Amino acid sequence: MEEEIFENRTDLYKLNAAVGQIKDTLGKIIVGQHQSIDLIIAGILADGHILIEGVPGVAKTLTAKLVAKAINAAYSRIQFTPDLMPSDILGTPVFNPKTSEFEFKHGPIFGNIILIDEINRAPAKTQSALFEVMEERQLTIDGTAYKMDEPFLVLATQNPIEQEGTYRLPEAQLDRFLFKIEVKYPTLEEEIAIINNQHQHKRADQLSDIQPVLSAQEIVALREQVRGFHVEPKILEFVARIVFETRNNKSLYLGASPRASLAIINAAKALAAINGRDFVTPDDVIWVVPHVLRHRIMLTPDKEMEGLSTDDVIGQIIHKIEVPR
Amino acid sequence: MRIKALPYWLFGLFMFISVFAFANKGKKKPAVMARDSSSVQVRQFSEDAIGAYSQSEDFKYVDADTKRELSLWDLFLAWVLNMLAAEVGRSPILLVILKYLVLGLIAAGVIFLVLKAIGIDVGLFLRKGAKKTSLPYVESLENIHEINFDDELDEAVSNRNYRLAVRLLYLKCLKQLSDKGLIQWQIDKTNKAYYYELTQKPQRDAFGSLTRRFEYVWYGNFNIDEQAYNDIDRLFNKFREQL
Repeated sequence: MEEEIFENRTDLYKLNAAVGQIKDTLGKIIVGQHQSIDLIIAGILADGHILIEGVPGVAKTLTAKLVAKAINAAYSRIQFTPDLMPSDILGTPVFNPKTSEFEFKHGPIFGNIILIDEINRAPAKTQSALFEVMEERQLTIDGTAYKMDEPFLVLATQNPIEQEGTYRLPEAQLDRFLFKIEVKYPTLEEEIAIINNQHQHKRADQLSDIQPVLSAQEIVALREQVRGFHVEPKILEFVARIVFETRNNKSLYLGASPRASLAIINAAKALAAINGRDFVTPDDVIWVVPHVLRHRIMLTPDKEMEGLSTDDVIGQIIHKIEVPR
Repeated sequence: MRIKALPYWLFGLFMFISVFAFANKGKKKPAVMARDSSSVQVRQFSEDAIGAYSQSEDFKYVDADTKRELSLWDLFLAWVLNMLAAEVGRSPILLVILKYLVLGLIAAGVIFLVLKAIGIDVGLFLRKGAKKTSLPYVESLENIHEINFDDELDEAVSNRNYRLAVRLLYLKCLKQLSDKGLIQWQIDKTNKAYYYELTQKPQRDAFGSLTRRFEYVWYGNFNIDEQAYNDIDRLFNKFREQL
């Protein structure tokens, strides 16, 4: 009677094995960043796009590339630049002289895992091209709708907006990202380990050794499994209260949308799966909330000038609301 | 070298211009003002004309609208003030009351200024209650310090509602930990937060095990039978004895 009298209703053995393998694979190359890796895995399981933000040189792109490499699926990379046009991403109809007809030439967005590097280097016109495909998983060009293959995951990296040559992403686009992961500088120990790995030429060898651990079909199946997890009505209400409060908080100019509530639930389910449970606890919710909300809310100008961050306000909101028990 | 010499050169130029300006100033001719020798005839207002104007309706600006009849309230106020003035004149007690009333108002004014100066919100004493939270619901679901756990547990077990009974056991456990000062009970804390507040490892491990059971039953919606509930109850009792 001492341990494990409960068994999950969902068999999570395969899922946990896959998660463990991805973590091991990424952990071989990436030093530290355990939280970022957990969030990326949660994002994959929750069927959400992920925005990774950090100053140059903190392995944002490397992390995204490794995740893509660990999954056996169609991968494409788009480097965003200020002169990039929507058709460069989506594709364009091209005239075929042999058939005398226009044929649609698919752009690099057609794939399973799309790495958009430095997404905020392109202006709003180009960003807007991603709205439909990110939300609806389809593209409409010349009246024809093109469905994306499942899984469809956008992994985007960006520099902080204060950096030279960057644009602020439109709110509508930010809302389409499940998480905004902030990659911080490594600790001193981690920095030493990074230098040591490079010095011993470990990284280059290991990069070529990375083998895919999950297929596209397996990801689709795992997502289906996670979607069916149990969430108590009190926890649903807890999430709703958190999101509702962002719309009434005096420090915030823009609150979170209902899409944020759905994102929190999906992300919490994915985190529960990573933690080996088939139901959501308030701890799961509280853990994902900052990553889901930080890019969806905006501070009032006076609070911004006072040096407050969105994470500070999210912390205040969480402390105001009673944990369901 | 040239940079150093520049200020001397500038100073020389300034002196030259100043001396030249002063020298020229002395040579200016004084201005001559022509005198007006014409005679001025002083005219007087005609008293008749002033009288005629003052009688004219065109210059009577108080019209019918401005002429307001005294209302009942005005009459009442005037009556009270007249009576008060008469009474004050006659009654020395009323004079004393008025005197203290004025002194009281002055004292209240001084207190208000002092509180304001030391940064206390005077409005706090005047408002009916704190401003309600923007959330349109009642915050606290229940206070663990106010629940009669024995009665509630008996009722839940007699109704065979073992899920609720496990929840009550867990809340009771949190109350006991809070009473012993091992955790700080707060509505925003999660079970994991309480787990990390326990400093002794055996206690923490046991609490972790109980928490896992509570979470599966309550958040995971796992139904349990009487046997399973009795086992869980035994674990909670064992943990309580360790505290």
